Amino acid sequence: MSHDHDHGHDFPPTSSVKRWFLTTNHKDVGILYLVTALFFLLLGGALAMLMRAQLWSPGANILSGGAYNQAVSAHGLIMVFWFISPFAFGFANYIVPLQIGADDLAFPRLNALSYWLYLFSGLLFVASFFQGATFNGGWTMYAPLNVPTYMPNVGGTTVVLALIMFVAAVTLGSVNFLTTMYRMRAEGLRMRDLPIFSMSILLTVWMMLFAFAALLAALMILASDHLIGTTYFTSDGGSLLWTHMFWFFGHPEVYIVFFPGLGIMAECFQTFTGRRLVGRKWFVLSMVLVALQSFVVWMHHMFLTGINLQIKTLFMVTTIGISLPFDLMVFSLIYTMIKGRIRFTTPFLFSLGALILFIIGGITGVFLGAVVLDYEFRGTYWVVAHFHYVMVAGATALFAGLYYWYPKITGRMYDEFLGKLHFVTYFVGFNLLYFPMFSAWETPRRVFEYQVGLAFWHKLATVGGFLLGASFLIMFYNMFKSLTAGEEVGDNPWDYATSAEWAVASPPPLENFPGIPSYAGGKLSFRDEPEPTADGGGDPVADTAAGAAADGGPATDGGTTAAAETATGSGVADPGMVATGGEAGVVTATHEADSGHADHASIWPFVVGLAGFLAFLGLSGVDEGGVYYPLTAIGGLLVMFGFVGMARQPFSAPEPAIAERWPFEGVENMKLGMWIFLGSDIVLFGGFIGSYLFLRVANGWHHWEHELIPAAHVTFPGLVNTYLLLTSSFAVVLALVASHRNSKRGVVAALVATWVLGVGFLINKAQEWLHLFHIHSDAFPNGWEIGTNVASSTFYLTTGLHGAHVIVGLIMLLYMIPRAIKGAYLDGDDEMLEYFGLYWHFVDIVWLFLFPLFYIV
Amino acid sequence: MSRLRLYTAIYVVLFVLATVQAWVESAGYLDEAYWWAFAGIMVLSFAKAVVVAGYYQHLRWEPRSVSYLMVGGLFVALALTTAAAYSIL
Amino acid sequence: MVLTRNGLAAGDAVLAGSGVRAPAEVFNDIFVVFLVLGTLVGVVVISYTLYNAYKYRYRAEKDPAPEADRPELGELPEGGGKGKKLFLSFTLSAIIVLSLVVWTYASLLYVENGAAQAVDESNAEDALDVQVDGFRFGWEFTYPNGHSSSTLRVPRDRVVNLSVTSLDVFHNFGIPELRVKSDAIPGQTTTAWFVAEETGTYTANCYELCGSGHSYMTAEVIVMSPAAYQEWYNGTSGPSPADGPAANGTESSTNETDGHGSEMNAIEPATTIDAAAGAPVARATTQP
Repeated sequence: MSHDHDHGHDFPPTSSVKRWFLTTNHKDVGILYLVTALFFLLLGGALAMLMRAQLWSPGANILSGGAYNQAVSAHGLIMVFWFISPFAFGFANYIVPLQIGADDLAFPRLNALSYWLYLFSGLLFVASFFQGATFNGGWTMYAPLNVPTYMPNVGGTTVVLALIMFVAAVTLGSVNFLTTMYRMRAEGLRMRDLPIFSMSILLTVWMMLFAFAALLAALMILASDHLIGTTYFTSDGGSLLWTHMFWFFGHPEVYIVFFPGLGIMAECFQTFTGRRLVGRKWFVLSMVLVALQSFVVWMHHMFLTGINLQIKTLFMVTTIGISLPFDLMVFSLIYTMIKGRIRFTTPFLFSLGALILFIIGGITGVFLGAVVLDYEFRGTYWVVAHFHYVMVAGATALFAGLYYWYPKITGRMYDEFLGKLHFVTYFVGFNLLYFPMFSAWETPRRVFEYQVGLAFWHKLATVGGFLLGASFLIMFYNMFKSLTAGEEVGDNPWDYATSAEWAVASPPPLENFPGIPSYAGGKLSFRDEPEPTADGGGDPVADTAAGAAADGGPATDGGTTAAAETATGSGVADPGMVATGGEAGVVTATHEADSGHADHASIWPFVVGLAGFLAFLGLSGVDEGGVYYPLTAIGGLLVMFGFVGMARQPFSAPEPAIAERWPFEGVENMKLGMWIFLGSDIVLFGGFIGSYLFLRVANGWHHWEHELIPAAHVTFPGLVNTYLLLTSSFAVVLALVASHRNSKRGVVAALVATWVLGVGFLINKAQEWLHLFHIHSDAFPNGWEIGTNVASSTFYLTTGLHGAHVIVGLIMLLYMIPRAIKGAYLDGDDEMLEYFGLYWHFVDIVWLFLFPLFYIV
Repeated sequence: MSRLRLYTAIYVVLFVLATVQAWVESAGYLDEAYWWAFAGIMVLSFAKAVVVAGYYQHLRWEPRSVSYLMVGGLFVALALTTAAAYSIL
Repeated sequence: MVLTRNGLAAGDAVLAGSGVRAPAEVFNDIFVVFLVLGTLVGVVVISYTLYNAYKYRYRAEKDPAPEADRPELGELPEGGGKGKKLFLSFTLSAIIVLSLVVWTYASLLYVENGAAQAVDESNAEDALDVQVDGFRFGWEFTYPNGHSSSTLRVPRDRVVNLSVTSLDVFHNFGIPELRVKSDAIPGQTTTAWFVAEETGTYTANCYELCGSGHSYMTAEVIVMSPAAYQEWYNGTSGPSPADGPAANGTESSTNETDGHGSEMNAIEPATTIDAAAGAPVARATTQP
C-alpha cells in the first residue's frame, strides 16, 4: 500500500534544491553519493594528469618537488577514499534495500549524516590545499614524515582530520548497512539468498567495520602527535608502528575497494549472459574467505622493514593463500559465459573489461607475493602498475554498474553508441597508461627524475593517461544528454535480470514496493500491506490488484495465493510469532513490529556535517591561533546543537513487521546497531592499547617502567577510578531494575548516581594528571607532561581517549536525566536505558584493561 | 526481581577482583615473578570483562551471534597487537 | 630491465673467483620464470575468455542451450551446480601458484641467511661491511676503517654487507642494477647484501617518499677491480668529521631495537670485516 498521501505537504519534490538537503531516503542519498564521488574522480584525475605531464620526460619542470609530492599524495588519498568507495556506496545505498526488499536503511538519518560527513570531509581536504600545502607524504602517510617536524604545513594536519571525519562517516555507514541487511530482509530471503551485489556489500561493510577502526586509531594518534604534542611516531619503533597500523587497515581496504565492483561484475555477467553464476555457492564462499583472510596478510607491505624471517614466511603463505579464492571467482565468471546468450551492452563490456584487467593485475600480484621478488619490486613502478590494474579494474566494474543501473535510477536509457565509444577509449587508454609501467618498472615510486632509457614508456603512459581522462568526457556527456533525450524505460530493460530492483518502476516510487515483498512462495511476490491501524488508507484488495498491474512480470502469478495462505493478520504485533508456509521451503521470518508511517526528511544531518567541517577546520590550525579558535568553538557548539536537535526530532523509521532476521532475531535494530558500533570501538581501543604494547616492546619493556615513568605515578588513583567506574556501572543496572519496577524516583536516582560517579572519575583523573604535570624529580625536572616521552604520550592519550568516552556518556546522561524526571523510561519503555547501559558498561570494560596495563604492570 | 541480587553479587565480585589486582602488585609478586604475575592480572581483567559483558550487558540472554560479533572484534584487535609485537622480537 | 650499462646481464653467472651466487642472479632467474609463466597463463586465460565471449554472443535465431533454464525475474538463487569444471581449473591454478612460491622459498632462505653463509660456502675473502645512512636528501657510506663518503665504492666479486638506517625519516636504499634494496628506518638498522660482478658506475636511489628532494636522492656506486679498490681503501684514513651530516652527532641511527631486532640477515657484527689488510677494524659503532 502506498503512503504517497503522507508526503505531499512536507517533503519537497526532487526538482527542489531543499529536498536534497533534507532527504534521508536511501535512493536520494545514493544519488548524492554518486554525483559527489564523480566530482572527486575529476579532482583526483586532474592531479593524475598533472603528474603524468611531469613524467613525460625526466626532470620536467611543470611541478616543483614539493608540489609534485602534494599531487601524488592527494591523488592517492582522494581516489581511494573520496572517489572509489563512495561511488560504490552510491550504488549500495540505492540498490541494496531494493534487492533485499526493505523500504530504506535501518537508520535513515544516520545514513544522510554519513553522506554529509563524507562531503564535508572532502571539502576539508580541498581546504587543505590552501593552508600552506596539503599533505605531501604519500597516501600511505609513513612516519615520521607525517609529523609536524617534517611536515609543518597546516594542510597536513587538516588532511588527517578530514580522514578522521571520513572514518566517522564510514563507521556510521557500516553500522547502518549491517543492521539493515541482517534485520530487514524480505520474508523468505535467507542470508545465502542475497543477490551477489548485496552479498558483496555485506562483506565490504564487515571489513569496513573493523579495518577503519584500526585506521581511526592510527589517525587519532597521528592527529594527537600533530596537535597535542605526543611523540608516538617519533619515538623508537614509532616508524614501524605506523606501518603496522596503517597496513593492517590498508590491506583490507583494497578489498573494501574492490568487492562492490566484483559484485557488480557477477550481476552483469549473469544478466548479460543469461546464465546463472556458475558455482555460486563457491563464489560466495570465496568472497567470505577473502574478507577473513584480508586481515592476515598486511605484512606483505613490510617485507623489507626488518621483521623476522618467521613472520615473513607466515605472511608470504597467507598472501599466496588469498590469491586462491580469487582464482576460483575468475573461473566462475568465465564459465558463466558458456552456453550463454551474450549481449555486448556497455555494462557487459565494462564488466568483461574489468575481468581481463583484474586477471592481469592478479597475475602481477603473485610476483609480489614471492618475497625474493618483492625485495626488488618494493617501491617501484611494478607495484604502481599492479595496484592500478586491480583497483581500477574495480572502478571499471563500478562504471559497468553506472550504465547497468542508469535506466533504473533515471527512468531513461543511456546512449548505447556513446557507451561503447566510452568503453573503447577507456580500455585503450587504461592499458596504454598502465601496461608500459611494467616495462618501466624500475622507476622508483613518487619520483619524477628517472632513468632516461625509460622515458619512452613514460611517454606512452602519459598519452594513455590523457586518453583515459578524455574518455570520461564521453561518459559525462552521455549521462547528461540521456537524462532528457534518452528513451524511457519500464521496470526492466534487461532480459534475464533477476533481482528485486528490476521488479519495480524506473525510478522506483518513494516507498519502493507496491506491497510487501516476499519470497515465501519461492519467488518474489508482493503481498498486501496489513490493515493500517491508525491512519486510514486504501482497500487492500485494490492495492494488490494495483500491485499486480504495476510489476507486470511473472512474480505476481503466485502472489495473491501466497498472500492468502500466509496472512499477516491485521497488523497486530505478536513478538516471537514465526511465520511459516508457502509452497516452497520453510520461511524463518520473524514478526517483531508494527509497520508504521515512515519519515523521510531531516535537516539535522546536514547541520551536523557542516558543524563537523567547521570544528575540524578550526582544530587543524589550533596551534596557529587566530581565527582557528573561534572556528573550533563555533563548530563544536553547532555539533552539540545538531545532535540535540536530532535526538529531539520525532522521526519514525519503522522496522518491517515481518522479515528474515537471522541470526539476530529478537535484537531490535537500535540495540543491534549499538552492539555493532561497540564491535568497532573494541578495535579502536585495541589499536590504542596495541600501540602502547608495541612501543613498550620496542623501547624495552622494563626500561619503560623504570626509566620513562616517574615514581610518582602510583596505582592508587587508578584503583580509586576502577571502584568509581564499577559502581557507576552498577548504578546503571539499578536504573534498569528501577524502570522495570516502574519507579520514577529509582530511575532518576540511579541515573544521577551514575552521573555523579562519572564526574568523580573525571575529577580524580584530573587531580592525578595535574599532580603528574607538576612533579619535579631528578628524572623529570619539568614534570611528566603529555609530550615528555613516549611513555607519557601513551599514558595520557590512551586514558584520555577513555576519559573522552566517559565525557560523552555523561553528556548523554544530561539529556536523559531531565527526561527521566518527566517520567520517561517507565512502563516498559526502557530501551534508551538499555542502550545507554550497553555503552556505559563497554566504557567500564575498557577501563578494566587500562587499569592494570597502565598502572600496575 | 531476583536479578537484583545477582547484579549486586556481581558488583561485589568485581570490586574484590579489582582489589586483588592491586594487591598482586603491592604484595611484590610483580617484582618476584613478573610474567606470571602479569598473566594472572590479565586473566583477572578478562574475567571481570566477561562478567560485565555477560550479566550487565545481558549477553547471557541475547542470541549467541551478538557475543560472536564482540569476540570477532576482540580477535581482530589481538591479532594486530600480537603479530606486530612479535615481528620486532 | 635486467641489463647493466655494459649490455651484459647482471647476475648471469656464478662469480668467477668468489664462488657465491649473487642475489641479483637469484632475482633474475626467478623473475624470468615468473614472467614466462605469468605471460603464458595470462595469454591462455584471456584468450579463453575472449573466445567464449565471442562464441556465445547473442544470436536471435540460435540459442546454444534451448533447454536451459534461463534466469527469471524474482527468482531465488540456486546453490549453483557445475562444480566439477570449476574445481578442476581452480586446483590447477592453485598448484601452479603454490609450486611457484614454494620454489622461491628456498631462494628466500638463501638470501636471508645472507652473506655470512655465502662467504662460508665460497673461498672468497670475507665480506665487506658498509654502514649506509640515509638522510634528507642523500646517502652516506661508512667503511670499516671509519672513513665516510657520499659515494659507495666496492670491489668486484666480493660479498658486500650493507647495514642501512636513516637519520631522519623513512627512506629506502636500492641499487637497481645490482638488485639490492633495504628499508632505511630511523631508530633501527636493516641489512642487505650483494655481490657485483662487473666493474662500472651504478646509481643508488631512494625508494620511499621522504620529502621534496626525494627524486634527487641518489648516490653513485662504483664497482672497482679488487686491486683498484684496495689501493683506494688504503689511501683513506679513519673517520672524517667534515663529511656529511653524520658529523652532527644528531643520529641515533646505529641503535638497534631490542633483541635481535630488525636485521634482515642474521649477520653477527663481530664476525666480519677484516678485509683491508692492516687497516684498523672499526665497526659502525665508532662513528663520530
